[in-house]
Amino acid sequence: MVRRRDLLAYLIGAGVAGTLLTAPYAARLAAVRLIAGATTMADVPFFLLPILWGLWNLLWARRQPAMGIGAWGALLGVVAGIAVNLFLVAVGTWFPVMMLLPAYLPVLYFLLFRLIIGPLNEALGVESERSTAAG
Amino acid sequence: MRTLGLIRRGTPGPSRDLWPGLRASLDADDVLVLRVPALGWLEATAVAVAVGTLALVPDPVRFLSACGLL
Repeated sequence: MVRRRDLLAYLIGAGVAGTLLTAPYAARLAAVRLIAGATTMADVPFFLLPILWGLWNLLWARRQPAMGIGAWGALLGVVAGIAVNLFLVAVGTWFPVMMLLPAYLPVLYFLLFRLIIGPLNEALGVESERSTAAG
Repeated sequence: MRTLGLIRRGTPGPSRDLWPGLRASLDADDVLVLRVPALGWLEATAVAVAVGTLALVPDPVRFLSACGLL
């Protein structure tokens, strides 16, 4: 039996990440055509992001950790940044700028979770009364 | 046959409506209010860092593709 709140949390995370995935699918083609030297793309399994975001938001709904949704998203950014680095090392396509990723993704994910996931959680009833704190 | 019919009528099947609340909201044409938090210094700094980093890294397109954003 799945709780409605958990399922909704998963669907919100997966839905937002899935919507953001239109960028790699659509803008990548445009970037390759328009920007000189843009053919060297890092090939990471970005299609897994909806599952990762969905599970992360589900975990948020279940555990209700003592931090804001933005900080929770930033934590996912750290995890994802490290995971991408390990993946690129494993497939032998790692490049030095990737060291920035575990610091860059948290900033990005903080914004996305705070400004998109958080309000959706609240509007759809995933958020409990308690966690409307900043961050 | 008649007995079977009586038994079936006596024990109604389980409700398949898993999301009664959501269904009620949809039927009532409920409006969702998204309360986006006000943009403060924290968010402004995060946006500046996100954009500034892209301006500083040597190959922003490759970097963005590694982020899953391109």
